[in-house]
Amino acid sequence: MSTITKSAPIPPSRQREKPGQQLKWIGKNIKRVEDPRLLTGQGRYIDDIDLPNMLHAAVLRSTRAHARIKSIDVTAAAALPGVVKVLTGADIARTTGPLPCFSNPPVEQRCVAVGRVRHVGEAVAVVVAESRYIAEDALDLIAVEYEDLPVMVDPEEAVKATGDGVLHPERGPTNIAIQRRFTFGPVDADFAAAARIVRRKLRWPRSGAQPLETVGAVAEYESGAGKFTIHMNSSMYNYVGWTMALSLGVPAHKINLVPVIAGGSFGSKLFTHKVCVLAASLARICGRPVKYIEDRIDNLTACDNHGSDRIYDAELALDADNRMIGLRCKVLDDYGAYFQYGVGHHGNALSQIVGPYRIRSVDLQVTAVLTNKCQQGAYRGFGSEVANFVIERMVDAAVDELGLDSVEFRRMNFIRREDFPYKIPTGNLYDSGNYAAVLDEALRLLDYEGWRKKQAEYRKQGRYIGIGIATCQERSVFSATEFWMLNEKAGFALTSSPEGVSIKIDPLGKIVVSLNAPFWGNSPETMATMILAEQLKVDPADISVAYSDTDHGLAGTGPGGSRYTVMVAGALVGAAGIIREKLFRVAGHMLEASPGDLELRDGKVGVKGAPGLEKTIAEIAMHAHFFRLSMPDDPTLTSGMDAAYTYDHPLTTLPSDDRSDLGIFYPIMGHMCHMPVVEVDVGTGQVSFLDYVAVHDCGTLVNPMTLAGHVRGGTAQGIGTALYEQYYYDADGQLLTANYADYLMPTLHELPENVRVGHVETPSPYTEYGIKGGGEGGRMGAPPAICSAIEDALRPLGVKVDALPITPRRLRTLIREAQAAVA
Amino acid sequence: MKPARFEYERATDLASALAVLARYGREAKVLAGGQSLIPLLNLRLASAERLIDIGRLDELRYIRLDGNELRIGALTTHNAVLRSTEVAEHCPIMVEAYRLVSHHSVRNRGTIGGNLCHNDPASEMPLVVNLLGATLIARSASGERAISGETFFKGDFETALEPSELLVEIRIPIPVKGHGWSFQEVSQRKGDFALVAAGAMLAIDGGVCRDVRLGFRNVGETIFRLPAVEARLEGQAPSAAVFSAAATAAMNAVAPPSDLHADEAYRRDLVKVLAERVLAAAAARAHH
Amino acid sequence: MTTQTIAVTVNGVRYERSVEPRLLLSDFLRHELSLTGTHVGCEHGICGACTVLLDGLATRSCLCLAMQADGASVETVESLGRVDALHPMQQAFWEKHGLQCGFCTPGMLMCAVELLRANPNPDRDAIVEAIGGNLCRCTGYQNIIAAVERAAELQRTVSEAA
Repeated sequence: MSTITKSAPIPPSRQREKPGQQLKWIGKNIKRVEDPRLLTGQGRYIDDIDLPNMLHAAVLRSTRAHARIKSIDVTAAAALPGVVKVLTGADIARTTGPLPCFSNPPVEQRCVAVGRVRHVGEAVAVVVAESRYIAEDALDLIAVEYEDLPVMVDPEEAVKATGDGVLHPERGPTNIAIQRRFTFGPVDADFAAAARIVRRKLRWPRSGAQPLETVGAVAEYESGAGKFTIHMNSSMYNYVGWTMALSLGVPAHKINLVPVIAGGSFGSKLFTHKVCVLAASLARICGRPVKYIEDRIDNLTACDNHGSDRIYDAELALDADNRMIGLRCKVLDDYGAYFQYGVGHHGNALSQIVGPYRIRSVDLQVTAVLTNKCQQGAYRGFGSEVANFVIERMVDAAVDELGLDSVEFRRMNFIRREDFPYKIPTGNLYDSGNYAAVLDEALRLLDYEGWRKKQAEYRKQGRYIGIGIATCQERSVFSATEFWMLNEKAGFALTSSPEGVSIKIDPLGKIVVSLNAPFWGNSPETMATMILAEQLKVDPADISVAYSDTDHGLAGTGPGGSRYTVMVAGALVGAAGIIREKLFRVAGHMLEASPGDLELRDGKVGVKGAPGLEKTIAEIAMHAHFFRLSMPDDPTLTSGMDAAYTYDHPLTTLPSDDRSDLGIFYPIMGHMCHMPVVEVDVGTGQVSFLDYVAVHDCGTLVNPMTLAGHVRGGTAQGIGTALYEQYYYDADGQLLTANYADYLMPTLHELPENVRVGHVETPSPYTEYGIKGGGEGGRMGAPPAICSAIEDALRPLGVKVDALPITPRRLRTLIREAQAAVA
Repeated sequence: MKPARFEYERATDLASALAVLARYGREAKVLAGGQSLIPLLNLRLASAERLIDIGRLDELRYIRLDGNELRIGALTTHNAVLRSTEVAEHCPIMVEAYRLVSHHSVRNRGTIGGNLCHNDPASEMPLVVNLLGATLIARSASGERAISGETFFKGDFETALEPSELLVEIRIPIPVKGHGWSFQEVSQRKGDFALVAAGAMLAIDGGVCRDVRLGFRNVGETIFRLPAVEARLEGQAPSAAVFSAAATAAMNAVAPPSDLHADEAYRRDLVKVLAERVLAAAAARAHH
Repeated sequence: MTTQTIAVTVNGVRYERSVEPRLLLSDFLRHELSLTGTHVGCEHGICGACTVLLDGLATRSCLCLAMQADGASVETVESLGRVDALHPMQQAFWEKHGLQCGFCTPGMLMCAVELLRANPNPDRDAIVEAIGGNLCRCTGYQNIIAAVERAAELQRTVSEAA
C-alpha cells in the first residue's frame, strides 16, 4: 500500500463488462474497417474538400522573431488580378477577437498578429484569392516595416528579461508565465535522511509531431442565418471547438463544426484554433467559402504544437538499501510565444512522475517561460514522455553511481502486483499493473543473457554494442482537471471529459454507429465495430460507422491522452444496453415471451434454452420502425430502434484546495519495457540498431494488431526524438529547421529492422472489459531506452547522455572528449 | 508552396535548345529532371523568368564505351547510371557512390548532368567525377569545349558553364584494370546529402600504392582531391599505419565549414575516419 | 499569363487541358482532374506522399510540372483497384496493417507497384530501396515492408494459378 493516506476514498468501480470473458471479436486481429477507402484513394481529407465558389488563402509570415509592426502596405498585393482581399491583423480584429486560450490568466493571441510579432513565422497578413498560386504571388507584393525588439531565445535569459524583452507586457513585467512549486509527501525529510543523492541536469529540446498532413480548414458563412460551417481536421473539435464562437463573436449554436479525417495528428491536431478561426473570419469577410491549408513551412514555423522544451535539474534520494525514496525536479520549460494549454503538460507528467517505482515523495518546481518561438501544444505524451525520460535517466544514474545491476535495481524498486490500486504521492492512482511480468517478458523476448554474451565478444573485437532498458508508464484517459489544477487560480475548472455515441438500427436490421470524435490514424471505426459486434452479437459487416458534426452529435472529447478506445467502449456498452433492452421489449411482444427470458445470439434475439424461438434483429427492427399498433399501448415504448449514451470518466476525483493532493486524474495506467540493442560507430558518432524489444501492457487488447501499430509507430517517433529531431532556433530567433530537408525524421533505413512487440495484459478494474489506452505507445519509452543503450555501449569510455537529440555530431563530440580524457 | 510564374519552352532538339539559351542567357534556367530545381522554385528560393525544358532530348541519354573512355550523356538519369553494366564494370566507384545519392524515385527523374550543374556542396557526383579525372563537355550555339573536372566546379552551386552553354557529356578515362576503389559518406540519414563524403582510388603495383586518388566533399569550397596527401601515399606500401598518417594529413589540410548538423571539429573527425576507411577498402579491393 | 495546352493520359484516360506552366503535376491531378488520392505532404520533394507513376517510373508529382507530363502516361492510386476489387498490393496492405492514417499510403503503393512490376520476387533490401525514400509517421514502416512481401506472395499465387 502507498503511504498517502489523507486523500479522499477511491470511488467504486463502474465497470459493467468484466475482463477475462470468452469474447468473439475483442482480442482478434480483424482487418481495419477504415482501410478500404483509404487504400483506394477515396479518403476525403481536408484539402480534398471543394465547395462551390470557394476561395483560397495564403498567409504572410513574420521574418522577425520579435518586432513591432510599423506599417503594412498591401496596395500592390490587392491590385493583383485574382486577389479578392488582402487583410492585416488589424483588419481581421475588427470582426474577430482573440483566440481561445486555456491558460489562466490567458495569454492573448490573434489568428493574425496585431501590432507586434512574437516569433518568426507568426502570421502578419493574409491574402484571399481565386487560387493558392495567386495568393502566394500576392504575398510577395506585401511590404511590412518592422521595428525590432530584443529577441528572447535562450530560456535562461528570457526569465530575466525586462522592458522590451517581455513578450506580453500587458500580462506582467516578466516572461515568466507561471512559476510554482508543488510538494507531495515528506520530501525535505526524505532528502535529509537519504543515504545517497544522485543529481543530473537533463535537456529535452522541442521536437514536433510532423504528421504527413498539415492542418487545414474549409469555412463557410451563411450571412442570412449568421451561421458558420467549418470543416476541420481537428481532434477535439467537439470538446473545445465551440470556444471559437467566442473569438468569432457569435453564439455557439451559430457554428457547426464538421469533422474531416486527418492524415496523422499524434496530438498536434488537438485544437487547430489558429487555422480554423482564420478560415472562418475570412469566409465571413469575403462572403464566400474559404479554404486555408497550411503548407509545410506554415506548419513548421507557426503551428500550435511544438513539443516540450525543458531543462531539468533533478535529484533522486535513495536509502541505505538502494531504494528510491524521493524525487526533486526543478524544470524550466520554454513555451514559446503563447501559452495555449498553460502548464497542462506538467500536470500530465505528475500523473506518473514517479514512474513504476515506490518513490514516496515528490517536489516539482515548474517555471514556464515565454520566448520568441512558436508555441507549444500537444505531442504524443503531452509532457509525460519527458517525465519518463527524467525518471529513467535518474534510475540509470543511480545504477551507475552505486555500481548496481540496471535490471535488478528496477525490479527491486517496482510497485508490486499486490500494491494496486496504488496511489502515488501526487494523488493520482495507478489502477493495476504487473511490472515484473512485463520486465520478464522483455528479458525473455530479447534473450537478454544471450545479448550480454554477444556484447562481451563484440567488445573484444573493438565494437561498441549496448543494451538499453527503460521501464515506463503510459497513463491513459485523462481527467479534465489536469487542464487547470496547476494554475494559481483555476479559471474554468471543468471536470467533464465525456464521450458520446449513438446507435441506430434501420428497418432492415443494419446498424449505424455515430461517433462524436474524429479519425486521424487511430482506428475508431474498427474499435467501435468490434466492441458493438461483441455487445450485440452481430456480424461486424452489419455495422457501419458515421461521424457527427456538432449540430447533430452528442458531447464528446475526442482522441487524446490515449483515451478514445476506453471511452468509446464505455459509451457503446451504455448505448448497447439501451438498445438491447428495447430489442428485448419488442421481441418479447413478437415472441410472446418475457424480456427477462431473452438473449442475444448470432444476430437474433431468442428465448434462452429454446433454440427455435427467435427473431432476427432485422425482423425486430422492422417491427419497431413500422408496426407500433401491433404492440400494446404503452407511452414508454416508442417507434424506432436507436439509442444514445454519453459516458463519463470512469474514475476521477477533484484535487484538494491546497493542491497537496491532485486527486485521481489519470488512473488507467499502462506500462512498457523497451530494450534496444545498439551499436555505436565511435569514429562517426552514428548509432544503429541491432535489435529492439518493446513489451507493452495496455490491459485487455481490443485489436492486438492495431495496438502493435501504435507501439511501432510510437517507437519510431521516440527514436526520432532521441536521435534526429529538434526545432533549432538560432540566436536571432530564426528557425533553422523550417523544411523537411533540415528537420530530420527517421526513414525506414534508420529504424530497427524488427521492433519485436510483446504484450502482457493486466486488465483495469475500472474500464469496460479492462481495456487501457495504448495509443501514445512507444514514444513514451523509447527515448530513455536509447540513452541507456548508448551509455551501455560506451561504458568503457564513460560517456553520459544528458541531452537530446543524440545526433552523430553530439555523440562524436562526447566520445572525442572522453577519449582525450582517457589518453 | 507554389512556384512563381515563368515562361516555359520545351526544346525538341539540342540545336534549338542551344539557340534559345543563346538568345535568353541568364534569364533562362534549364529544366532537366527538376529534382533540384523544382523544390527551389516551390520554396521560392529560386526564380526564373523562363524555363527551358530539355527533358525530351533523348539524344543526350546514353552510356557508351569509346575506346578508353566511358561517355555518359548529361541527361542520363541517376538510376540508368546506377544500373548500367558498363559503369559497374569500368567505374564501380560511381555505382558505389550512387547508392548513397538520394532515393529511388528521385533518381528515376534526376539526371547526372543536372546534378553536376547544380553543384550542391554536399552532393556526391562532383567528387566522383574528380576522382575519375573526368572531362565535362559543354556545348553552345557557337561550339563545344572540354572542361576539366577541377575547373568545372567553381564554388557552391556554381560551375564554369556560361549561361549560353549546356553540359552535354561526361567523359571518363577508364581506370586501370585491377584498381581498387571506395566511396563512403556520413550523413544523418541514408540518402541525405553528405556531412562529409570521401572517395579513394588506387592501384597496387609491386606491393606499393600507385595512381592514388583521395578526395572529400563538403569540407570547404572547391576542395575535392588533396594532391599533397595523394603524393605522400604514392609508392608507399599499404598499411593501417600509412593510411592513418595520410588521414591525419588530410584532416589537417582542410578547413571545413560549420553548419546546423556538423561543426568544423566534427567534420575534421569525419575526414580522418573516412579517409582511413576508404583507403583501406580501396586497398583491399585492388588486385596486387 | 499564358497557358499552354497539354494532353496527358491518366489512368488510361486521355485529358486535354490548358494549364499555367508552373502548375505542379500534383495539383493538376488533384484539382484539375479531381483525382484526390494522390496526397501532398511537403511540396518540396522530401516525403514522397505525392508519388505517382510517370511512364511507369515512380515520380514525386510535386517535383514535376504538369507540362512535363504532356504526352506521357500517369498512373495514380485510383488506377489500382476498387473497394470491391482491390489490387493485390492494396489487399496486402490491408491484411498486414500497413497503414494507419492513410496519408502516405498512395505514395507507398505506387512505389511498391513499380517495384513488383520490375522485380516480382524482391528481397527485403530491394523493398527497402524502393520505398525507403518515402516518409511514414504512423506505422514505423515495418508493416509496410511486410505488406509488400505479402503482395509479392499474392501475385505469385495468382500467376501460378493462371
